[in-house]
Amino acid sequence: MTRECSLLLPRVCAALADPRQPGSDDTCLEKLLDWFRSLTEFDPTVKLVQDNPCLTELIASVLALPEPSPSILSFTLRLAGILAASENCFQHFQQEKLLVRLFGRDGPLSSTVWEDASVRSGWVEGVHSMMHHQPALHFLCNGGGIDVIFALQGDPSLFVASAASQLLVHMLILSVESETTKPLGTKDCDWPACAQMIIKHIEDSLQSSSASHVEQSLKLLTSLFGSCRSMWTEVLWLGVAKQIESFLTEETVQAQHMLANLLLNMAWSPVFCDTEGSFWALVSSALEHLTPVQAGPLAVGVLRLYKCPQDVRIQALTVLLQPMDCILRAASQPLEYAGLLDESVSDPAAVESLLSSKSSCASLLCQTLAHLEELLSLVYLPVDLPYTSLLRSLMTILQFCNGFLSPASPLGSMISRILINCFRVQRSALDVLAALSERKGCDTLIGSLFDVLLAYLESPNTGPTVLKKTFQATSKWLVRLHELSCSNSQWEQTEKILEDVFLVLQKRLCSPCWEVRDSSLEFLTVLIKCLRDQDEFRQSLLSSEVPRLTENLLEDPESYVRASAVTAVGHLAFITYFAPEAPVVGNQYNKENTVAKLQEILSTDPEGFPRRAVISIFTKWLRQGCTGQLEDTEQFVSRVIQTVEHDLDWEVRLGGLELVEVFCSQTICQLGLPKCSYAPVSSAVTSSNHQNESLQIFCRAKLFSFLFRSLCDCDKPVGQRACDILLGLRGSFYPISTLKDSQGTEDSPAGHSIAWLQRTLRQGSLAQNLPAGGGNGVDFEDPESMMLALGTIDLEELHDELNKSSDHVEKSPQSLLQDILATAGTVEENEADCY
Amino acid sequence: MPEIKVTPLGAGQDVGRSCILVSIAGKNVMLDCGMHMGYNDDRRFPDFSYITQNGRLTDFLDCVIISHFHLDHCGALPYFSEMVGYDGPIYMTHPTKAICPILLEDYRKITVDKKGETNFFTSQMIKDCMKKVVAVHLHQTVQVDEELEIKAYYAGHVLGAAMFQIKVGCESVVYTGDYNMTPDRHLGAAWIDKCRPDLLISESTYATTIRDSKRCRERDFLKKVHETVERGGKVLIPVFALGRAQELCILLETFWERMNLKAPIYFSTGLTEKANHYYKLFITWTNQKIRKTFVQRNMFEFKHIKAFDRAFADNPGPMVVFATPGMLHAGQSLQIFRKWAGNEKNMVIMPGYCVQGTVGHKILSGQRKLEMEGRQILEVKMQVEYMSFSAHADAKGIMQLIRQAEPRNVLLVHGEAKKMEFLKQKIEQEFHVNCYMPANGETTTIFTNPSIPVDISLGLLKRETAIGLLPDVKKPKLMHGTLIMKDNSFRLVSPEQALKELGLAEHQLRFTCRVHIQDPRKEHETVLRVYNHLKGVLKDYSVQHLPDGSITVESILIQATAHSEDQGTKVLLVSWTYQDEELGSYLTSLLKKGLPPSTS
Repeated sequence: MTRECSLLLPRVCAALADPRQPGSDDTCLEKLLDWFRSLTEFDPTVKLVQDNPCLTELIASVLALPEPSPSILSFTLRLAGILAASENCFQHFQQEKLLVRLFGRDGPLSSTVWEDASVRSGWVEGVHSMMHHQPALHFLCNGGGIDVIFALQGDPSLFVASAASQLLVHMLILSVESETTKPLGTKDCDWPACAQMIIKHIEDSLQSSSASHVEQSLKLLTSLFGSCRSMWTEVLWLGVAKQIESFLTEETVQAQHMLANLLLNMAWSPVFCDTEGSFWALVSSALEHLTPVQAGPLAVGVLRLYKCPQDVRIQALTVLLQPMDCILRAASQPLEYAGLLDESVSDPAAVESLLSSKSSCASLLCQTLAHLEELLSLVYLPVDLPYTSLLRSLMTILQFCNGFLSPASPLGSMISRILINCFRVQRSALDVLAALSERKGCDTLIGSLFDVLLAYLESPNTGPTVLKKTFQATSKWLVRLHELSCSNSQWEQTEKILEDVFLVLQKRLCSPCWEVRDSSLEFLTVLIKCLRDQDEFRQSLLSSEVPRLTENLLEDPESYVRASAVTAVGHLAFITYFAPEAPVVGNQYNKENTVAKLQEILSTDPEGFPRRAVISIFTKWLRQGCTGQLEDTEQFVSRVIQTVEHDLDWEVRLGGLELVEVFCSQTICQLGLPKCSYAPVSSAVTSSNHQNESLQIFCRAKLFSFLFRSLCDCDKPVGQRACDILLGLRGSFYPISTLKDSQGTEDSPAGHSIAWLQRTLRQGSLAQNLPAGGGNGVDFEDPESMMLALGTIDLEELHDELNKSSDHVEKSPQSLLQDILATAGTVEENEADCY
Repeated sequence: MPEIKVTPLGAGQDVGRSCILVSIAGKNVMLDCGMHMGYNDDRRFPDFSYITQNGRLTDFLDCVIISHFHLDHCGALPYFSEMVGYDGPIYMTHPTKAICPILLEDYRKITVDKKGETNFFTSQMIKDCMKKVVAVHLHQTVQVDEELEIKAYYAGHVLGAAMFQIKVGCESVVYTGDYNMTPDRHLGAAWIDKCRPDLLISESTYATTIRDSKRCRERDFLKKVHETVERGGKVLIPVFALGRAQELCILLETFWERMNLKAPIYFSTGLTEKANHYYKLFITWTNQKIRKTFVQRNMFEFKHIKAFDRAFADNPGPMVVFATPGMLHAGQSLQIFRKWAGNEKNMVIMPGYCVQGTVGHKILSGQRKLEMEGRQILEVKMQVEYMSFSAHADAKGIMQLIRQAEPRNVLLVHGEAKKMEFLKQKIEQEFHVNCYMPANGETTTIFTNPSIPVDISLGLLKRETAIGLLPDVKKPKLMHGTLIMKDNSFRLVSPEQALKELGLAEHQLRFTCRVHIQDPRKEHETVLRVYNHLKGVLKDYSVQHLPDGSITVESILIQATAHSEDQGTKVLLVSWTYQDEELGSYLTSLLKKGLPPSTS
């Protein structure tokens, strides 16, 4: 703790304990606790309490108040808990007789303030923080506190109930791991006293007729097995296993929905997953007995496990695939397609009845689809999925949803009626469809898949969110289609599909809904990124109206759309005028016009997004070497930075710096400085000549003026980036050993002005002190001065300074203490207010 | 019993950030998804892990509704939809959808700039999130799915702010978001119809306040600005880009015009244009005066307020500058503040709340020596003023809204516990409804009346329409029929049809009453006297004397017999069916008073 803070703390404590003072803002109290937590992490707590007797006084005086405010009392309980985490401090509180008034019988739990949820929450949190040693455990267990915690598991406040459950888990682990001397066996049940109380409570609750008690215990066990992987958990489990098994078979128990989580947490624990037999038999029984909705999460969890018997995996997969199988069967004629599952594996009745009910059909499908998507995103899949049938089932769902399929079977017609226009299911199905494109093996259906996708892209009933997902799935499958046509040379099909896609894209680009125009542009950009090397793609795209419409959208009224249009136009350039072989499409693509248009957006667009998009496209062009020869590039970069230098949006200025960084490294690379060892260097030129040349280029392009001004930018990230670039440049121009000492450089006029620059930068006020043409003789276009500046200015110091967050002063504990004091000092509270 | 459950994850007894879960007839809705500006870590977002212990968020939640564009109501939305993974529908009004991304983007830029944070949503995420938003119109009933429907009502507060009615079957909840019951210079007052929801979830920021006269506050503000400018000082007003700033702009613009002042007023570059654009686009959302005068003069095209350039801050002479952000925590407003703080002629006016850790908070709490970066100390000599211009309903306004909507239960959020407690008692006393105020994480359960749909037979409906009782939602009418409960369904049919369907015979039920009259005359003479008397009194009714000696008035039958023991007393038997209960009772009481003296 700093001296300033320790001087302020007694006054703050006095103010907090004073009931006449207006209450402190809750966030202040929270931040104060954060500070104490960090203090006790590094320093011995006992010293903290000894050095600051005001803390004990604060606790004592709040407890002595006849009617403490709930928020101050809650704060006090939590503070006391943090401090009492150290055993010495705990004893100190015990000697002062504070402990029993905080967490014992004489504390708030027997007063009316206990009705306030924040007090109960403070009590539980306080006890949790304190619970790091045996004396604390014994204090709670012997003083009846543990019964309070048991009761709080059923608290009306979700926060308190959940915290109480966590606390019991913590106490159980602490008790067993700190108080057990010999390994626990199944027979002797030699649990330490506190653990015994908790375990008995768990066992009793599990047998209770009250569903909420059963749920509380299951929740407790779930988090215990999730956080503790010690062997003793198995001993505990053996005591309750029978009871839990019975929950699966008894229909009266309401707690089945909790079992999936419990079993999954156990399955991740090495204590259980390695066991032969009994545990996996239970999982298997759960997969069988739970309802399809309850079993779903368990099934997907099981399939994510590395260690799991293969038969359980297959059973889990069956659970997941069953709804998809039902869909497929409901839609097709008997014997038309093989289903996903062998009917002998499972009984589809339960799933069928859920799918044919209006209230459960969509939710079961959405859940199943989400699980399948999760499964498909795994790199390693421990089981084989029947991809073709899965795809067919997905297509069926999508066709049900848009009314393109209404089968004759009673179940099929029922499901298709329920699903029509169901956006939720459409979105989920399209997500899975996109994920499925990564998997090989369902290529035979690709033609009909595109029929479905195109129907969605074309339909006026497709809402913007569904359309966006359709675009995502379509782009992925177009890439897949292309890979396929490379291998089987079926170019005609690909060309036809591409043609159809661009036709529909043309329409969508003219949609009155900005969300649709934007998603269409994003789709186009993704396509160009993935397929720009493919002749068929380029031809289809360039022979459509899409490029022209895209350019029109540069003037869209919606700024998001303009930004996306900039990005799309930027990418289009790669296949038109920046392409190695210019396409045969007439002269409608004029490089100069586009560059001029983008530059105009950069300097005049009133919104940040389009300007940011332009600068990022320019950087991309530069990276890919599209901006022409070095001289052209130099002029281009110089022009751009002069535009962005005064931009009001700091992210545009930051983008400008990124452009500068790329330009610098490319220039240095091209001229062959040692930093870039792979660049070809002509042996005829010496290294210093190159330095000179790059430096001159940078000076001519006015980079240094931009970089040094940026160091003092009022937005921190800009300064940080500029400093990084300058440090990089210095590294290129100066070997470390040759760095100059800033002393003694002031002899020359240049040295004098650079010394001024150094001083000004320290104050962080260059932008204000520097007239447009330079200041105090600093010539940012003079290579010699700039070389000197790079060598002498302490950029490391600046770098460290800039890396501090800009509110580090306001965030400091001292500032917090001052604020609390100042607020306490104001007589009248400003009216509770918001915006 | 059907029930509605409400769990605030934020705004339960606080004003930090709003995020309220409502479960109604099996549908789960999240109301607002706000961010707490007071934290720099994950605590700024609601803890979404409490929404569901089992299953995916997208499957659990049916929709998210955002009431308005302030970050404490929508700031966590991109995090929720793009990072936590909610993929379902999001609803907000058109102006909110347009303005929300601007504020989110501003906040993102400041956060990333200031803290160099990387674990924060990106521009792309904001855009992707906004693409998932379905924009709604006022009073448009939107079907989220077959059962769940929502409807937006005007809430005042800021442009596009709305209250939302959420309805499943006949159960409904209204969530107010932030609202204002008094119109101001650019927005109208909140309004809702008498929708009688089962539950009204209302904000309660000003639960105990009856706002002082708005005029006074405005006059005070103008006076302070005027005085500063007159003595050659500069005024800095840190604001959020869009929202209440426009109200202050109109205020100053009109004042400058009236007083013919020359000192320049500036607004952060770019933002005025943006604001103007949206106010023009959503002119129907502003108040009547602005709409009316719009053709002659657009109130948002200011004559005196010009775009600000960084270099202007150093200009000599007086000026007024609106700059963002509103809490002086970074960017332009902080930069100007640093320049001007040292001069006692200058003034900074904070028009909103500032969180701890910002320069705004420090100067509002009276700190005058601020440590800046690099151990520099900034001495604040300029005047510091706080002037709240936020537009929330005060206690009176909240009561007024309850009177308007007539809810069966009220639940208070977005306020401080103590103040809520006071208002809760007032509501319970005045309206005799239950009022709740759950803390964050606490679930309130409200039982609602079970809704029983009843089919009406076409025959009955036709009969009722034939006698002019056309069904009309606004004018509920009584309808008589027989309720048949059969095969788990309820049907209202005509009594004849019911008898026929159920194979029952009809029985008439009549009430009979004896009235004793002193009349020594013969029975038929007494009857005649009764007949004449009734005929005279009941001129509009058909009173008949039947040949068998009895009298009928509509379905009422009157017969006279002599008393078995006392011939001077006649007994009148009055009998009627239940349909004529009213007339029957009236007649009995009339006859009990006796007959008028005979004229013959």
